[in-house]
Amino acid sequence: MFPLLYSLRLGFFRVNVGQQDVFIGLANYARAFKDPNVWNAARVTLTFVLIGVTIQLILGLLFALLFNRALPARGVLRTIMTLPLFATPIGIGYMFITIFHEEGGFIRASLGAKIPWLSNPDWALVSVILVDIWNWTPFVFIVLLAALQSIPEEYYEAARLESSSQWELFRYITLPILQPSIILVLVLRMSEAFKVFDIPFSLTSGGPGIATETFSMLTFNTYRRFFDFGYGSALAYLLLIAVAIIVTSFFGRIRQAYT
Amino acid sequence: MTKRFSVVGLILTILAFVVVLIWLLPFYWALSVSLRPPSMTFTCKGICLPYLQFPPTLEHWKTELSSREMLRALLNSTIIAFLASFFTLILGTPAAYALARFRFRPRLVVILAFIFCAILAFTAATFGVDWRLALLAGFVIFLGFAMTLGNRFERRLANEDITLWFLSQRFLPPIVTVVPFLLIMSQLKLIDTRLALVLVNITFNLPFAIVIMRQAFIDLPIELEEAAMVDGASFFGSFYRVALRLTAPVMAATLMIILAFCWNELLFALNLGTLKAKTVPALLAGSSSTRGIQFWFVAVRALIALIPPTILALLAQRYIVRGLTFGAVKG
Repeated sequence: MFPLLYSLRLGFFRVNVGQQDVFIGLANYARAFKDPNVWNAARVTLTFVLIGVTIQLILGLLFALLFNRALPARGVLRTIMTLPLFATPIGIGYMFITIFHEEGGFIRASLGAKIPWLSNPDWALVSVILVDIWNWTPFVFIVLLAALQSIPEEYYEAARLESSSQWELFRYITLPILQPSIILVLVLRMSEAFKVFDIPFSLTSGGPGIATETFSMLTFNTYRRFFDFGYGSALAYLLLIAVAIIVTSFFGRIRQAYT
Repeated sequence: MTKRFSVVGLILTILAFVVVLIWLLPFYWALSVSLRPPSMTFTCKGICLPYLQFPPTLEHWKTELSSREMLRALLNSTIIAFLASFFTLILGTPAAYALARFRFRPRLVVILAFIFCAILAFTAATFGVDWRLALLAGFVIFLGFAMTLGNRFERRLANEDITLWFLSQRFLPPIVTVVPFLLIMSQLKLIDTRLALVLVNITFNLPFAIVIMRQAFIDLPIELEEAAMVDGASFFGSFYRVALRLTAPVMAATLMIILAFCWNELLFALNLGTLKAKTVPALLAGSSSTRGIQFWFVAVRALIALIPPTILALLAQRYIVRGLTFGAVKG
Protein backbone atom coordinates (compact mmCIF):
# COMPACT_ATOMS: atom_id res chain seq x y z
CA MET A 1 0.00 0.00 0.00
CA PHE A 2 2.53 2.55 1.09
CA PRO A 3 4.72 2.56 -2.03
CA LEU A 4 1.58 2.98 -4.14
CA LEU A 5 0.39 5.98 -2.16
CA TYR A 6 3.84 7.43 -2.17
CA SER A 7 4.22 7.34 -5.91
CA LEU A 8 0.70 8.71 -6.32
CA ARG A 9 1.83 11.66 -4.24
CA LEU A 10 5.06 12.05 -6.18
CA GLY A 11 3.05 12.29 -9.38
CA PHE A 12 1.57 15.60 -8.24
CA PHE A 13 4.89 17.20 -7.35
CA ARG A 14 7.93 18.56 -9.02
CA VAL A 15 10.74 16.68 -7.38
CA ASN A 16 14.29 17.89 -7.44
CA VAL A 17 16.83 15.93 -5.49
CA GLY A 18 18.05 17.98 -2.56
CA GLN A 19 15.21 20.49 -2.73
CA GLN A 20 11.79 20.80 -1.23
CA ASP A 21 9.17 19.14 -3.43
CA VAL A 22 6.80 21.58 -5.07
CA PHE A 23 3.12 20.80 -5.46
CA ILE A 24 2.14 21.31 -9.08
CA GLY A 25 -1.20 19.52 -9.24
CA LEU A 26 -1.88 17.76 -12.49
CA ALA A 27 0.92 19.47 -14.39
CA ASN A 28 2.94 16.24 -14.64
CA TYR A 29 0.01 14.48 -16.23
CA ALA A 30 -0.65 17.38 -18.57
CA ARG A 31 2.99 17.27 -19.58
CA ALA A 32 2.73 13.55 -20.26
CA PHE A 33 -0.10 14.07 -22.71
CA LYS A 34 1.93 16.62 -24.67
CA ASP A 35 5.17 14.63 -24.62
CA PRO A 36 5.89 12.99 -28.02
CA ASN A 37 8.09 10.41 -26.26
CA VAL A 38 5.10 9.26 -24.24
CA TRP A 39 2.99 8.82 -27.34
CA ASN A 40 5.83 6.96 -28.98
CA ALA A 41 6.21 4.66 -25.98
CA ALA A 42 2.46 4.08 -25.90
CA ARG A 43 2.47 3.21 -29.60
CA VAL A 44 5.44 0.85 -29.22
CA THR A 45 3.92 -0.85 -26.20
CA LEU A 46 0.52 -1.25 -27.83
CA THR A 47 2.02 -2.67 -31.01
CA PHE A 48 4.11 -5.02 -28.94
CA VAL A 49 1.17 -6.20 -26.86
CA LEU A 50 -1.39 -6.55 -29.63
CA ILE A 51 0.77 -8.23 -32.25
CA GLY A 52 2.88 -10.22 -29.80
CA VAL A 53 0.03 -11.61 -27.73
CA THR A 54 -2.13 -12.41 -30.76
CA ILE A 55 0.62 -14.42 -32.41
CA GLN A 56 1.44 -16.15 -29.14
CA LEU A 57 -2.17 -17.19 -28.68
CA ILE A 58 -2.51 -18.55 -32.21
CA LEU A 59 0.83 -20.35 -32.20
CA GLY A 60 0.30 -21.63 -28.68
CA LEU A 61 -3.09 -23.07 -29.60
CA LEU A 62 -1.69 -24.67 -32.76
CA PHE A 63 1.22 -26.20 -30.86
CA ALA A 64 -1.09 -27.47 -28.15
CA LEU A 65 -3.24 -29.19 -30.76
CA LEU A 66 -0.12 -30.53 -32.45
CA PHE A 67 1.16 -32.05 -29.22
CA ASN A 68 -2.17 -33.36 -28.02
CA ARG A 69 -1.76 -36.68 -29.80
CA ALA A 70 0.39 -39.75 -29.66
CA LEU A 71 3.94 -38.55 -30.19
CA PRO A 72 7.22 -40.28 -29.52
CA ALA A 73 8.93 -38.81 -26.43
CA ARG A 74 6.11 -36.35 -25.88
CA GLY A 75 7.06 -35.70 -22.25
CA VAL A 76 10.59 -34.73 -23.22
CA LEU A 77 9.41 -32.50 -26.04
CA ARG A 78 6.94 -30.77 -23.75
CA THR A 79 9.67 -30.22 -21.15
CA ILE A 80 11.97 -28.69 -23.75
CA MET A 81 9.21 -26.30 -24.76
CA THR A 82 8.91 -25.06 -21.18
CA LEU A 83 12.59 -24.12 -20.93
CA PRO A 84 12.15 -20.46 -21.97
CA LEU A 85 9.50 -19.84 -19.34
CA PHE A 86 11.76 -19.36 -16.37
CA ALA A 87 14.83 -18.24 -18.23
CA THR A 88 16.18 -14.90 -17.10
CA PRO A 89 14.60 -12.33 -19.46
CA ILE A 90 17.74 -10.28 -19.70
CA GLY A 91 19.73 -13.42 -20.45
CA ILE A 92 17.26 -14.16 -23.23
CA GLY A 93 17.80 -10.70 -24.63
CA TYR A 94 21.55 -11.20 -24.73
CA MET A 95 21.17 -14.68 -26.12
CA PHE A 96 19.14 -13.31 -28.99
CA ILE A 97 21.80 -10.74 -29.76
CA THR A 98 23.85 -13.73 -30.85
CA ILE A 99 20.99 -14.73 -33.14
CA PHE A 100 20.20 -11.35 -34.62
CA HIS A 101 23.70 -9.91 -34.79
CA GLU A 102 24.24 -8.53 -38.24
CA GLU A 103 27.65 -10.05 -38.84
CA GLY A 104 27.93 -13.25 -36.86
CA GLY A 105 24.36 -13.86 -35.81
CA PHE A 106 22.73 -17.15 -36.64
CA ILE A 107 20.41 -15.64 -39.21
CA ARG A 108 23.29 -14.00 -41.07
CA ALA A 109 25.83 -16.76 -40.72
CA SER A 110 23.62 -19.75 -41.32
CA LEU A 111 20.63 -18.58 -43.26
CA GLY A 112 22.49 -15.91 -45.15
CA ALA A 113 19.69 -13.39 -44.82
CA LYS A 114 21.01 -9.89 -44.39
CA ILE A 115 18.38 -8.09 -42.39
CA PRO A 116 19.14 -5.05 -40.21
CA TRP A 117 17.49 -6.72 -37.19
CA LEU A 118 18.67 -4.36 -34.53
CA SER A 119 19.68 -1.19 -36.37
CA ASN A 120 16.54 -0.48 -38.37
CA PRO A 121 13.70 0.97 -36.26
CA ASP A 122 10.98 -1.24 -37.73
CA TRP A 123 13.04 -4.41 -37.72
CA ALA A 124 14.14 -3.73 -34.16
CA LEU A 125 10.52 -3.76 -33.03
CA VAL A 126 9.99 -6.96 -35.00
CA SER A 127 12.99 -8.52 -33.25
CA VAL A 128 11.68 -7.60 -29.82
CA ILE A 129 8.28 -9.08 -30.66
CA LEU A 130 9.90 -12.23 -32.05
CA VAL A 131 11.87 -12.74 -28.85
CA ASP A 132 8.72 -12.27 -26.80
CA ILE A 133 6.97 -14.83 -28.98
CA TRP A 134 9.80 -17.28 -28.43
CA ASN A 135 9.67 -16.62 -24.71
CA TRP A 136 5.93 -16.81 -24.07
CA THR A 137 4.31 -18.99 -26.73
CA PRO A 138 5.30 -21.99 -24.57
CA PHE A 139 3.22 -20.54 -21.74
CA VAL A 140 0.09 -20.43 -23.89
CA PHE A 141 1.05 -23.84 -25.18
CA ILE A 142 1.36 -25.66 -21.86
CA VAL A 143 -1.74 -24.09 -20.35
CA LEU A 144 -3.87 -24.97 -23.36
CA LEU A 145 -2.29 -28.42 -23.58
CA ALA A 146 -3.26 -29.03 -19.96
CA ALA A 147 -6.79 -27.92 -20.79
CA LEU A 148 -6.92 -30.12 -23.90
CA GLN A 149 -5.83 -33.17 -21.97
CA SER A 150 -8.57 -32.64 -19.44
CA ILE A 151 -11.25 -33.11 -22.13
CA PRO A 152 -12.64 -36.63 -21.79
CA GLU A 153 -12.41 -38.76 -24.93
CA GLU A 154 -16.10 -39.64 -24.53
CA TYR A 155 -17.10 -36.16 -25.65
CA TYR A 156 -15.52 -36.75 -29.00
CA GLU A 157 -16.87 -40.27 -29.28
CA ALA A 158 -20.37 -39.01 -28.64
CA ALA A 159 -19.92 -36.17 -31.08
CA ARG A 160 -18.61 -38.42 -33.82
CA LEU A 161 -22.03 -40.04 -33.92
CA GLU A 162 -23.43 -36.69 -34.94
CA SER A 163 -20.77 -35.38 -37.22
CA SER A 164 -17.53 -36.56 -38.68
CA SER A 165 -16.06 -33.21 -39.61
CA GLN A 166 -12.86 -32.51 -37.71
CA TRP A 167 -13.54 -28.82 -37.92
CA GLU A 168 -16.97 -29.19 -36.33
CA LEU A 169 -15.52 -31.28 -33.51
CA PHE A 170 -13.00 -28.56 -32.91
CA ARG A 171 -15.47 -25.74 -33.25
CA TYR A 172 -18.24 -27.12 -31.03
CA ILE A 173 -16.33 -29.16 -28.46
CA THR A 174 -12.68 -28.18 -28.19
CA LEU A 175 -13.03 -24.42 -28.48
CA PRO A 176 -15.87 -23.98 -25.96
CA ILE A 177 -14.01 -26.09 -23.42
CA LEU A 178 -10.80 -24.19 -24.01
CA GLN A 179 -12.46 -20.80 -23.87
CA PRO A 180 -11.97 -20.11 -20.13
CA SER A 181 -8.29 -21.08 -20.36
CA ILE A 182 -7.80 -18.91 -23.43
CA ILE A 183 -9.26 -15.90 -21.67
CA LEU A 184 -7.15 -16.54 -18.59
CA VAL A 185 -4.00 -16.79 -20.68
CA LEU A 186 -4.98 -13.67 -22.55
CA VAL A 187 -5.38 -11.61 -19.38
CA LEU A 188 -2.16 -12.87 -17.86
CA ARG A 189 -0.18 -12.32 -21.03
CA MET A 190 -1.62 -8.85 -21.74
CA SER A 191 -1.00 -7.58 -18.24
CA GLU A 192 2.54 -8.95 -18.35
CA ALA A 193 3.27 -7.67 -21.84
CA PHE A 194 2.25 -4.13 -20.92
CA LYS A 195 4.99 -4.08 -18.31
CA VAL A 196 7.67 -5.41 -20.62
CA PHE A 197 11.06 -4.05 -19.70
CA ASP A 198 13.89 -6.58 -19.55
CA ILE A 199 13.88 -7.84 -23.11
CA PRO A 200 13.91 -4.53 -25.03
CA PHE A 201 16.29 -3.22 -22.38
CA SER A 202 18.85 -5.93 -23.08
CA LEU A 203 18.20 -6.51 -26.77
CA THR A 204 18.02 -2.99 -28.13
CA SER A 205 18.18 -0.65 -25.09
CA GLY A 206 15.08 0.96 -26.55
CA GLY A 207 16.89 1.83 -29.71
CA PRO A 208 17.69 2.60 -32.36
CA GLY A 209 16.66 6.01 -31.13
CA ILE A 210 13.45 5.38 -29.28
CA ALA A 211 12.02 2.86 -31.75
CA THR A 212 11.62 0.11 -29.16
CA GLU A 213 11.28 2.19 -26.02
CA THR A 214 8.36 0.67 -24.16
CA PHE A 215 6.37 2.45 -21.51
CA SER A 216 8.20 0.83 -18.62
CA MET A 217 11.52 1.75 -20.18
CA LEU A 218 10.50 5.35 -20.73
CA THR A 219 9.50 5.58 -17.09
CA PHE A 220 12.71 3.95 -15.99
CA ASN A 221 14.79 6.33 -18.09
CA THR A 222 12.92 9.31 -16.68
CA TYR A 223 13.93 8.15 -13.22
CA ARG A 224 17.45 7.12 -13.95
CA ARG A 225 18.78 9.50 -16.51
CA PHE A 226 16.93 12.63 -15.56
CA PHE A 227 16.13 11.89 -11.90
CA ASP A 228 12.71 13.31 -12.60
CA PHE A 229 10.85 11.37 -9.93
CA GLY A 230 7.66 13.42 -10.12
CA TYR A 231 7.18 13.05 -13.86
CA GLY A 232 8.30 9.44 -13.75
CA SER A 233 5.72 8.60 -11.11
CA ALA A 234 3.01 10.21 -13.18
CA LEU A 235 4.05 8.05 -16.15
CA ALA A 236 4.13 4.94 -13.96
CA TYR A 237 0.61 5.71 -12.84
CA LEU A 238 -0.58 6.00 -16.42
CA LEU A 239 0.77 2.50 -17.03
CA LEU A 240 -0.88 1.26 -13.85
CA ILE A 241 -4.20 2.65 -15.04
CA ALA A 242 -3.80 0.93 -18.42
CA VAL A 243 -3.10 -2.44 -16.81
CA ALA A 244 -5.91 -1.90 -14.31
CA ILE A 245 -8.38 -1.29 -17.14
CA ILE A 246 -7.45 -4.58 -18.80
CA VAL A 247 -7.54 -6.56 -15.58
CA THR A 248 -10.83 -5.14 -14.36
CA SER A 249 -12.47 -5.66 -17.72
CA PHE A 250 -11.84 -9.36 -17.22
CA PHE A 251 -12.49 -9.20 -13.51
CA GLY A 252 -15.42 -11.59 -13.44
CA ARG A 253 -13.40 -14.20 -15.26
CA ILE A 254 -10.40 -13.81 -12.96
CA ARG A 255 -12.58 -14.05 -9.91
CA GLN A 256 -14.10 -17.24 -11.19
CA ALA A 257 -10.73 -18.76 -11.98
CA TYR A 258 -9.26 -18.13 -8.57
CA THR A 259 -12.02 -18.63 -6.09
CA MET B 1 -9.30 -47.60 -31.57
CA THR B 2 -6.50 -49.14 -33.56
CA LYS B 3 -3.43 -47.13 -34.31
CA ARG B 4 -2.62 -47.07 -37.96
CA PHE B 5 0.25 -45.60 -39.80
CA SER B 6 -0.79 -42.50 -41.65
CA VAL B 7 1.03 -39.96 -43.72
CA VAL B 8 -0.73 -37.08 -42.03
CA GLY B 9 0.30 -38.42 -38.62
CA LEU B 10 3.90 -38.67 -39.72
CA ILE B 11 3.92 -35.13 -41.08
CA LEU B 12 2.42 -33.80 -37.86
CA THR B 13 5.00 -35.67 -35.80
CA ILE B 14 7.83 -34.24 -37.87
CA LEU B 15 6.26 -30.81 -37.54
CA ALA B 16 6.21 -31.14 -33.75
CA PHE B 17 9.90 -32.05 -33.75
CA VAL B 18 10.69 -29.08 -35.99
CA VAL B 19 8.88 -26.75 -33.59
CA VAL B 20 10.89 -28.09 -30.67
CA LEU B 21 14.13 -27.71 -32.64
CA ILE B 22 13.31 -24.09 -33.47
CA TRP B 23 12.71 -23.42 -29.80
CA LEU B 24 16.01 -25.03 -28.85
CA LEU B 25 17.97 -23.19 -31.49
CA PRO B 26 18.81 -20.00 -29.53
CA PHE B 27 20.22 -22.06 -26.66
CA TYR B 28 22.30 -24.10 -29.05
CA TRP B 29 23.60 -21.10 -30.95
CA ALA B 30 24.61 -19.20 -27.83
CA LEU B 31 26.42 -22.30 -26.60
CA SER B 32 28.15 -22.69 -29.94
CA VAL B 33 29.25 -19.05 -29.92
CA SER B 34 30.54 -19.35 -26.38
CA LEU B 35 32.71 -22.33 -27.29
CA ARG B 36 34.25 -20.89 -30.44
CA PRO B 37 37.75 -19.49 -30.48
CA PRO B 38 37.63 -15.69 -31.02
CA SER B 39 38.92 -15.89 -34.58
CA MET B 40 36.02 -18.12 -35.57
CA THR B 41 33.30 -16.02 -33.99
CA PHE B 42 32.19 -14.31 -37.15
CA THR B 43 33.51 -16.68 -39.77
CA CYS B 44 31.70 -19.88 -38.87
CA LYS B 45 29.11 -20.81 -41.46
CA GLY B 46 26.16 -23.17 -41.39
CA ILE B 47 24.97 -24.59 -38.11
CA CYS B 48 28.50 -24.56 -36.78
CA LEU B 49 28.88 -27.83 -34.94
CA PRO B 50 31.67 -28.05 -32.38
CA TYR B 51 34.56 -30.36 -33.33
CA LEU B 52 33.35 -30.62 -36.91
CA GLN B 53 33.57 -26.97 -37.85
CA PHE B 54 35.72 -25.51 -35.12
CA PRO B 55 37.82 -26.74 -32.21
CA PRO B 56 35.77 -25.98 -29.07
CA THR B 57 37.45 -24.10 -26.29
CA LEU B 58 36.39 -23.44 -22.73
CA GLU B 59 38.58 -20.34 -22.62
CA HIS B 60 35.73 -17.82 -22.48
CA TRP B 61 33.95 -19.72 -19.75
CA LYS B 62 37.11 -19.86 -17.67
CA THR B 63 37.78 -16.14 -18.05
CA GLU B 64 34.23 -15.25 -17.18
CA LEU B 65 33.84 -17.61 -14.24
CA SER B 66 37.08 -16.45 -12.69
CA SER B 67 36.38 -12.74 -13.05
CA ARG B 68 35.79 -11.17 -9.67
CA GLU B 69 32.71 -9.20 -10.59
CA MET B 70 31.00 -12.28 -12.01
CA LEU B 71 31.80 -14.36 -8.94
CA ARG B 72 30.49 -11.66 -6.66
CA ALA B 73 27.33 -11.28 -8.72
CA LEU B 74 26.74 -15.03 -8.62
CA LEU B 75 27.21 -15.05 -4.86
CA ASN B 76 24.88 -12.05 -4.43
CA SER B 77 22.21 -13.54 -6.65
CA THR B 78 22.36 -16.89 -4.86
CA ILE B 79 22.18 -15.40 -1.37
CA ILE B 80 19.39 -12.98 -2.27
CA ALA B 81 17.32 -15.59 -4.08
CA PHE B 82 17.61 -18.17 -1.31
CA LEU B 83 16.96 -15.81 1.59
CA ALA B 84 14.08 -14.08 -0.16
CA SER B 85 12.30 -17.23 -1.27
CA PHE B 86 12.83 -18.91 2.09
CA PHE B 87 11.31 -16.04 4.04
CA THR B 88 8.54 -15.61 1.49
CA LEU B 89 7.45 -19.17 2.20
CA ILE B 90 7.84 -18.80 5.97
CA LEU B 91 5.58 -15.74 5.92
CA GLY B 92 3.27 -16.89 3.17
CA THR B 93 2.43 -20.43 4.26
CA PRO B 94 0.69 -19.58 7.56
CA ALA B 95 -1.19 -16.76 5.87
CA ALA B 96 -2.27 -19.12 3.11
CA TYR B 97 -3.35 -21.70 5.68
CA ALA B 98 -5.41 -19.13 7.54
CA LEU B 99 -7.09 -18.05 4.29
CA ALA B 100 -7.85 -21.65 3.38
CA ARG B 101 -9.16 -22.86 6.74
CA PHE B 102 -10.73 -19.94 8.59
CA ARG B 103 -13.48 -17.61 7.52
CA PHE B 104 -12.73 -13.95 7.63
CA ARG B 105 -15.64 -11.58 7.36
CA PRO B 106 -14.25 -8.08 7.60
CA ARG B 107 -16.71 -5.26 7.08
CA LEU B 108 -16.06 -3.55 3.79
CA VAL B 109 -16.69 -0.11 5.25
CA VAL B 110 -14.08 -0.59 7.96
CA ILE B 111 -11.44 -1.38 5.40
CA LEU B 112 -12.43 1.60 3.29
CA ALA B 113 -12.28 3.78 6.39
CA PHE B 114 -8.82 2.47 7.14
CA ILE B 115 -7.59 3.28 3.64
CA PHE B 116 -9.25 6.67 3.77
CA CYS B 117 -7.64 7.54 7.12
CA ALA B 118 -4.27 6.34 5.86
CA ILE B 119 -4.55 8.63 2.84
CA LEU B 120 -5.70 11.45 5.10
CA ALA B 121 -2.75 11.07 7.45
CA PHE B 122 -0.42 10.75 4.51
CA THR B 123 -1.71 13.89 2.82
CA ALA B 124 -1.49 15.82 6.08
CA ALA B 125 2.10 14.71 6.52
CA THR B 126 2.83 15.76 2.97
CA PHE B 127 1.63 19.27 3.64
CA GLY B 128 3.85 19.87 6.58
CA VAL B 129 2.03 18.37 9.57
CA ASP B 130 4.37 16.39 11.81
CA TRP B 131 4.07 12.78 10.61
CA ARG B 132 3.73 11.28 14.12
CA LEU B 133 0.84 13.61 14.86
CA ALA B 134 -0.76 12.84 11.51
CA LEU B 135 -0.44 9.09 12.05
CA LEU B 136 -1.93 9.32 15.55
CA ALA B 137 -4.81 11.52 14.41
CA GLY B 138 -5.53 9.22 11.49
CA PHE B 139 -5.55 6.21 13.80
CA VAL B 140 -7.89 7.88 16.30
CA ILE B 141 -10.32 8.93 13.57
CA PHE B 142 -10.27 5.40 12.21
CA LEU B 143 -10.91 3.78 15.61
CA GLY B 144 -13.71 6.20 16.39
CA PHE B 145 -15.34 5.52 13.06
CA ALA B 146 -14.94 1.76 13.21
CA MET B 147 -16.50 1.55 16.66
CA THR B 148 -19.48 3.80 16.01
CA LEU B 149 -20.69 4.27 12.48
CA GLY B 150 -18.85 1.24 11.12
CA ASN B 151 -21.22 -1.18 12.80
CA ARG B 152 -24.16 0.13 10.87
CA PHE B 153 -23.01 -1.12 7.49
CA GLU B 154 -23.60 -4.75 6.75
CA ARG B 155 -21.60 -5.27 3.58
CA ARG B 156 -18.79 -7.71 4.34
CA LEU B 157 -15.89 -9.14 2.46
CA ALA B 158 -14.93 -12.80 2.39
CA ASN B 159 -11.75 -14.81 2.06
CA GLU B 160 -12.08 -14.76 -1.71
CA ASP B 161 -11.83 -10.99 -1.75
CA ILE B 162 -8.70 -11.09 0.35
CA THR B 163 -7.20 -13.62 -2.01
CA LEU B 164 -8.09 -11.44 -4.97
CA TRP B 165 -6.47 -8.50 -3.28
CA PHE B 166 -3.25 -10.47 -2.99
CA LEU B 167 -3.59 -11.53 -6.58
CA SER B 168 -4.04 -7.97 -7.75
CA GLN B 169 -0.57 -7.21 -6.44
CA ARG B 170 0.79 -9.53 -9.11
CA PHE B 171 -0.79 -7.46 -11.86
CA LEU B 172 0.75 -4.26 -10.57
CA PRO B 173 3.50 -2.94 -12.85
CA PRO B 174 6.58 -3.03 -10.63
CA ILE B 175 7.89 0.20 -12.15
CA VAL B 176 5.24 2.08 -10.13
CA THR B 177 6.93 1.12 -6.89
CA VAL B 178 10.55 1.63 -7.92
CA VAL B 179 10.96 5.18 -6.67
CA PRO B 180 9.08 4.69 -3.39
CA PHE B 181 11.24 1.66 -2.63
CA LEU B 182 14.33 3.60 -3.60
CA LEU B 183 13.42 6.38 -1.19
CA ILE B 184 12.41 4.00 1.60
CA MET B 185 15.67 2.11 1.28
CA SER B 186 17.71 5.29 1.26
CA GLN B 187 15.92 6.40 4.43
CA LEU B 188 16.80 3.08 6.03
CA LYS B 189 20.37 3.35 4.69
CA LEU B 190 19.93 0.08 2.85
CA ILE B 191 20.85 1.18 -0.66
CA ASP B 192 23.24 -1.24 -2.31
CA THR B 193 22.79 -3.95 0.29
CA ARG B 194 21.60 -7.49 -0.20
CA LEU B 195 19.05 -6.97 2.56
CA ALA B 196 17.24 -4.33 0.49
CA LEU B 197 16.89 -6.70 -2.45
CA VAL B 198 15.80 -9.54 -0.19
CA LEU B 199 13.07 -7.32 1.26
CA VAL B 200 11.87 -6.17 -2.15
CA ASN B 201 11.78 -9.72 -3.49
CA ILE B 202 9.81 -10.89 -0.47
CA THR B 203 7.27 -8.11 -1.01
CA PHE B 204 6.81 -9.04 -4.62
CA ASN B 205 6.60 -12.79 -4.23
CA LEU B 206 4.55 -13.02 -1.05
CA PRO B 207 1.20 -12.68 -2.87
CA PHE B 208 2.26 -15.44 -5.24
CA ALA B 209 3.21 -17.78 -2.39
CA ILE B 210 -0.04 -17.06 -0.56
CA VAL B 211 -2.27 -17.67 -3.58
CA ILE B 212 -0.53 -20.91 -4.56
CA MET B 213 -0.28 -22.33 -1.04
CA ARG B 214 -3.88 -21.42 -0.28
CA GLN B 215 -4.99 -23.52 -3.22
CA ALA B 216 -2.80 -26.38 -2.02
CA PHE B 217 -4.39 -26.28 1.45
CA ILE B 218 -7.88 -26.08 -0.01
CA ASP B 219 -7.19 -29.17 -2.11
CA LEU B 220 -6.21 -31.04 1.04
CA PRO B 221 -9.20 -32.83 2.62
CA ILE B 222 -9.92 -31.17 5.93
CA GLU B 223 -10.82 -34.57 7.40
CA LEU B 224 -7.15 -35.43 7.68
CA GLU B 225 -6.52 -32.53 10.02
CA GLU B 226 -9.69 -33.24 11.95
CA ALA B 227 -8.57 -36.82 12.41
CA ALA B 228 -5.28 -35.60 13.79
CA MET B 229 -7.10 -33.30 16.19
CA VAL B 230 -9.31 -36.16 17.35
CA ASP B 231 -6.20 -38.19 17.97
CA GLY B 232 -5.01 -35.52 20.34
CA ALA B 233 -2.89 -33.28 18.18
CA SER B 234 -2.99 -29.62 19.07
CA PHE B 235 -4.05 -27.09 16.47
CA PHE B 236 -0.44 -26.32 15.63
CA GLY B 237 0.35 -29.99 15.70
CA SER B 238 -2.23 -30.70 13.04
CA PHE B 239 -0.98 -27.78 10.98
CA TYR B 240 2.64 -28.78 11.30
CA ARG B 241 2.42 -32.57 11.22
CA VAL B 242 -0.42 -33.03 8.76
CA ALA B 243 -1.09 -30.00 6.58
CA LEU B 244 2.51 -28.95 6.12
CA ARG B 245 3.78 -32.48 5.53
CA LEU B 246 1.16 -33.22 2.93
CA THR B 247 1.64 -30.00 1.00
CA ALA B 248 5.42 -30.34 1.07
CA PRO B 249 5.69 -31.11 -2.67
CA VAL B 250 3.74 -28.01 -3.62
CA MET B 251 5.80 -26.03 -1.15
CA ALA B 252 9.03 -27.28 -2.68
CA ALA B 253 7.80 -26.40 -6.16
CA THR B 254 6.67 -22.95 -5.00
CA LEU B 255 10.07 -22.43 -3.45
CA MET B 256 11.77 -23.28 -6.71
CA ILE B 257 9.52 -21.04 -8.76
CA ILE B 258 10.08 -18.13 -6.40
CA LEU B 259 13.81 -18.83 -6.48
CA ALA B 260 13.69 -18.43 -10.25
CA PHE B 261 11.62 -15.24 -9.99
CA CYS B 262 14.10 -13.73 -7.53
CA TRP B 263 17.04 -14.76 -9.66
CA ASN B 264 15.48 -13.14 -12.72
CA GLU B 265 14.49 -9.89 -11.04
CA LEU B 266 16.12 -7.00 -12.90
CA LEU B 267 14.32 -3.73 -12.32
CA PHE B 268 14.98 -3.44 -8.60
CA ALA B 269 18.40 -5.03 -8.84
CA LEU B 270 19.37 -2.21 -11.21
CA ASN B 271 18.16 0.44 -8.81
CA LEU B 272 19.00 -0.97 -5.42
CA GLY B 273 22.13 -2.97 -6.09
CA THR B 274 24.51 -0.77 -7.97
CA LEU B 275 27.89 -1.98 -6.77
CA LYS B 276 28.28 -4.25 -3.79
CA ALA B 277 24.91 -5.96 -4.08
CA LYS B 278 24.96 -6.30 -7.87
CA THR B 279 23.13 -9.41 -9.03
CA VAL B 280 23.77 -11.39 -12.19
CA PRO B 281 20.98 -9.73 -14.22
CA ALA B 282 22.17 -6.29 -13.12
CA LEU B 283 25.72 -7.21 -14.09
CA LEU B 284 24.47 -8.29 -17.49
CA ALA B 285 22.57 -5.07 -17.91
CA GLY B 286 25.73 -3.06 -17.38
CA SER B 287 27.95 -5.16 -19.55
CA SER B 288 26.91 -3.89 -22.96
CA SER B 289 27.93 -0.34 -22.18
CA THR B 290 31.17 -0.99 -20.30
CA ARG B 291 32.89 -3.53 -22.48
CA GLY B 292 31.15 -3.13 -25.78
CA ILE B 293 29.36 -6.00 -27.39
CA GLN B 294 31.89 -8.77 -27.49
CA PHE B 295 30.19 -11.66 -29.00
CA TRP B 296 31.42 -14.65 -27.04
CA PHE B 297 31.26 -12.61 -23.89
CA VAL B 298 27.57 -11.86 -24.41
CA ALA B 299 26.89 -15.54 -25.08
CA VAL B 300 28.71 -16.77 -21.98
CA ARG B 301 27.06 -14.25 -19.70
CA ALA B 302 23.61 -14.93 -21.09
CA LEU B 303 24.07 -18.65 -20.51
CA ILE B 304 25.39 -18.18 -16.99
CA ALA B 305 22.29 -16.17 -16.15
CA LEU B 306 19.96 -18.62 -17.87
CA ILE B 307 21.19 -21.93 -16.54
CA PRO B 308 20.10 -21.79 -12.85
CA PRO B 309 16.46 -20.81 -13.41
CA THR B 310 16.19 -23.25 -16.30
CA ILE B 311 17.35 -26.08 -14.05
CA LEU B 312 14.82 -24.97 -11.45
CA ALA B 313 12.12 -25.06 -14.10
CA LEU B 314 13.09 -28.63 -14.92
CA LEU B 315 12.89 -29.62 -11.26
CA ALA B 316 9.50 -27.98 -10.76
CA GLN B 317 8.23 -29.32 -14.08
CA ARG B 318 5.00 -30.79 -12.72
CA TYR B 319 3.93 -27.53 -11.13
CA ILE B 320 4.90 -25.09 -13.86
CA VAL B 321 1.42 -24.64 -15.25
CA ARG B 322 -0.02 -24.15 -11.80
CA GLY B 323 2.73 -21.73 -10.88
CA LEU B 324 2.52 -19.54 -13.95
CA THR B 325 -1.25 -19.21 -13.83
CA PHE B 326 -1.13 -18.59 -10.07
CA GLY B 327 -2.98 -21.80 -9.35
CA ALA B 328 -5.88 -21.29 -11.74
CA VAL B 329 -4.96 -24.26 -13.92
CA LYS B 330 -3.56 -27.54 -12.62
CA GLY B 331 -1.27 -29.07 -15.19
